[in-house]
Amino acid sequence: MSRWLFPLLALLLLLAFGFSLAFGSVSIPFEQVMRILLGGTPEKAAWADILFKFRLPKALTAVLVGAALSASGLQMQTLFRNPLADPYILGVSSGASLGVALVILGLGSGETALTFVSGFGTFGNFTLALAASLGAASVLGVVLLLARRVQNTLTLLVTGLMFGYLASAVVSLLIYFSQPERVQVFSLWTTGSFSGVTWPQMTVFAPAALLGLGIALAMVKPLNVLLLGDDYARSLGLNVRRARAWIIVSASLLAGVSTAFCGPIWFVGVAVPHVARSLLKTANHRVLLPASLLMGATFALLADLIAQLPGSQRVLPLNVVMSLFGVPVILSIILRQKQLRQL
Amino acid sequence: MYRKIPFIFLTFALLLAACAPAAAPSPAPTTLPATATPAPTQAPTVAPTQPAPVIEAPTQNLTDGCIAEGQFDPGMDYFPQKAQIEYAAGLSIEYHNSYKVVTVKTPWPGANESMEYALVQCGAPKPEGFLEEQIIEVPAKTIITMSTTYLPALDELGLLDRLVGVDDITYVNNPTVLKMAEEGKLASIGYGSGVNVEKVLELAPSLVMTYGSGAPEYDAHPVLLQVGQKVVVNAEWMDTTPLGRAEWLKFIAVFFNKEAEAEAIFAQIEQDYQKLTTLTASVSQKPTVFTGSAYQGTWYMPGGQSFAAAFLRDAGAEYLWSDDTSTGSLPLSIEAVFEKAKDADYWLNVGFVGSLDDLKSMDARYADFAAFQKGNIWNNDAKTSPSGGNDYYESAVLHPERILADLVFIFHPDLLPDHQPVYYRQVK
Repeated sequence: MSRWLFPLLALLLLLAFGFSLAFGSVSIPFEQVMRILLGGTPEKAAWADILFKFRLPKALTAVLVGAALSASGLQMQTLFRNPLADPYILGVSSGASLGVALVILGLGSGETALTFVSGFGTFGNFTLALAASLGAASVLGVVLLLARRVQNTLTLLVTGLMFGYLASAVVSLLIYFSQPERVQVFSLWTTGSFSGVTWPQMTVFAPAALLGLGIALAMVKPLNVLLLGDDYARSLGLNVRRARAWIIVSASLLAGVSTAFCGPIWFVGVAVPHVARSLLKTANHRVLLPASLLMGATFALLADLIAQLPGSQRVLPLNVVMSLFGVPVILSIILRQKQLRQL
Repeated sequence: MYRKIPFIFLTFALLLAACAPAAAPSPAPTTLPATATPAPTQAPTVAPTQPAPVIEAPTQNLTDGCIAEGQFDPGMDYFPQKAQIEYAAGLSIEYHNSYKVVTVKTPWPGANESMEYALVQCGAPKPEGFLEEQIIEVPAKTIITMSTTYLPALDELGLLDRLVGVDDITYVNNPTVLKMAEEGKLASIGYGSGVNVEKVLELAPSLVMTYGSGAPEYDAHPVLLQVGQKVVVNAEWMDTTPLGRAEWLKFIAVFFNKEAEAEAIFAQIEQDYQKLTTLTASVSQKPTVFTGSAYQGTWYMPGGQSFAAAFLRDAGAEYLWSDDTSTGSLPLSIEAVFEKAKDADYWLNVGFVGSLDDLKSMDARYADFAAFQKGNIWNNDAKTSPSGGNDYYESAVLHPERILADLVFIFHPDLLPDHQPVYYRQVK
């Protein structure tokens, strides 16, 4: 199966990528798309811009985020031996939300906030990305610090969750005391989108995501060993704490950078690793991880394609589409498998 | 073997729960009491009795005080000065001898029922057929406002001395109101369902004026009604024409029997506005315009029949989405906006943006719009207070003629060569 699976997955990804370039709110005839891609001049000058400045960065973002969150989710599920674990389980997304909420809701009033905000271009994606990264990084820092001291992985999970709750509580408090208009801006951020990443931002986003993916790929072996349990892993000569720290760094970097630039994207991170496991019928991360990357990227591209409602001018919120269309598809894949493996 | 299924369902449940923190439900009552609970602040029906018995019918509304005790005559018209509603589609006022029925037709988007208030002249008996919570004694002695948009009306009607509280002073622009707050004469009671009920009860205003979203967990009025506070929902923001919105001035005036003043103020506004539309009616060149900016990949564009679209039409511009039939805003994809508006002449209301560089740093693609390259970007934030309150959402609600003058100046500078923009600023 796996011999055929990888070329097939790669082909699907390529197709999905092609689709997301070819279809969008604006209808561009297919031969015009081809002409633009081959370097020709289209009938309408705006079409070339739409393709290169809007659809291409959006598609690349979808690929990176889909891959990043799937890898991150897989790592977390293995590390915590918990099928419900997702990229955000250690509170990374809550930390990022807190950072963003502080900018949108917290700094809103008062003269200093206004100058801060107008100086950086309020609600400019870079400001928000920076705030989200800082928020995610501070939660990650605390978790890492604990990871070095805590022996038990479960304790780590619980502390991560606690920090998540703490950050969410502060966000709720900020919401409670904010003007409805600002709350609306914030809630828009939580709907998630791949469209906000422009080329200048890509120069920060892509390297960070690729770095996280690189670390993830390098941690394939320790992940396999960790499946056997911490004690057994230790007896095999694995430095569990160090491995754990690197896995957390990679998973949180991937989740943090995605959240920073696209808002919290739900669903992919939990669902894709399960689909990969049930299709490949293996727990070997050497296969599982690359497969998750490819499937996650494809899934993200397709979800975004639906969210763009090709042919109509309107768009749907990305997270809504992910769950609405993703749940039936992924459930049917997982339920069809006769042998559901236990982690 | 299907061991994971419950996990998966749980995951979705968790995801849903996690996605919803913005909706953090505060424990708000979902049902309203059918009849108001005993109102603790209902006593002074009869003000200090002034003798001077009224014999002949009044020629003016009583803007202060009540009908003297024992002087009530059911056959007498106590509101000789009446308000006429011409433009405000969501408002109607019906006069009876000693009370007026004010109807807010659509209090919030998608509302199934209208809201009716019976405004009873102080000193007259309560009319029948209304719930206690609908009956409001006029002229109101004190008021708390929960939107800055009501302040200019109170100011121009000479009623600021009756203002005892606002939702939040931070975003207020009106200098008199700011001064009152500085002198400690105004309380801040907070927003929506988080409104400080105890503070309101302590102030015991005759009236709290607020707006509604229809979701009881967000709105202030269900919370206030439950404690027996008189509260009215103002839906001026639901009206889709500039003059319609401004005419809600009369809605505020009727609670104070200030119909005559409101009529005079509005007549001037209407006249000035119409003068400007006559100016633009004959322009041959209509520049193309779009508004707003994208956020998380979605560009919220005002619908073709919206308030914003009406302004652009009256200002002699061609709004690119004027064909659209909705009154709300359209969630458009950024590429759809780019295709349609790339070559448009003007770009308005870009949001919280200081300079063209700010705009570009938000999204580099904004610089590809022709309006950006020509420097034809105007923002409606010229009159913003140091703490961030934008007067565009305050005094301009009552004065659409000032906004229209700004817009005419932007699109057709030759028509108003000497105009100095008030609310609009060119983004540079």
